[in-house]
Amino acid sequence: MSPARGVRPLRDGGYRLRLEPHERELLDVLAGELEQRVRTDDASVARLFPSAYTDDPAADDEYRRLTRGSLADGRLRALRTLRDTCTAERLDQREADAWCTALNDLRLVLGERIGVTEDLYERTMDARDPRRPELAIYGWLTWLQSEVVDALVSRLT
Amino acid sequence: MLQVHHEGRAVVSSGTRERAEHDVARLHAAGLWATMQQD
Repeated sequence: MSPARGVRPLRDGGYRLRLEPHERELLDVLAGELEQRVRTDDASVARLFPSAYTDDPAADDEYRRLTRGSLADGRLRALRTLRDTCTAERLDQREADAWCTALNDLRLVLGERIGVTEDLYERTMDARDPRRPELAIYGWLTWLQSEVVDALVSRLT
Repeated sequence: MLQVHHEGRAVVSSGTRERAEHDVARLHAAGLWATMQQD
């Protein structure tokens, strides 16, 4: 019997990663697209760089000037790590943390684009909804992120 | 976090402007919404 897909903590302190080849390929593609959007400051990644001052544009500009670079660098580092390790069988702690960050960002941007709200799981999906393919990817990212989070949390207890 | 879940917002940090901005940036790095408010 083959072990289940997903992420499991290993005795050696790392994490076992088991995914289908097409899932690994999809991660590489999605992370590559997001890297490009973060680099070019595309409007679709605005969700990743929120305002700190909603009623003071000058202060907000200053905040962005001071933080935008390091926030973007952190996100690009995590996406790079995800791409570099998307074919790995084992992740170390740093890589697993990066997966968590990158998967969260992928979900936020995709969720924003297709208008995911809190009632997502209470609605029945119309078979003709044009967002179906992206919602399927969103659901899969959610599953994978929960696998990583559960594995990371198991180390805290 | 539970307060955020129920009410949609919560005060999670207070102090000098520099300190609060630093905390806001950490929350933004984690993909969370956070804004500054002067009391």
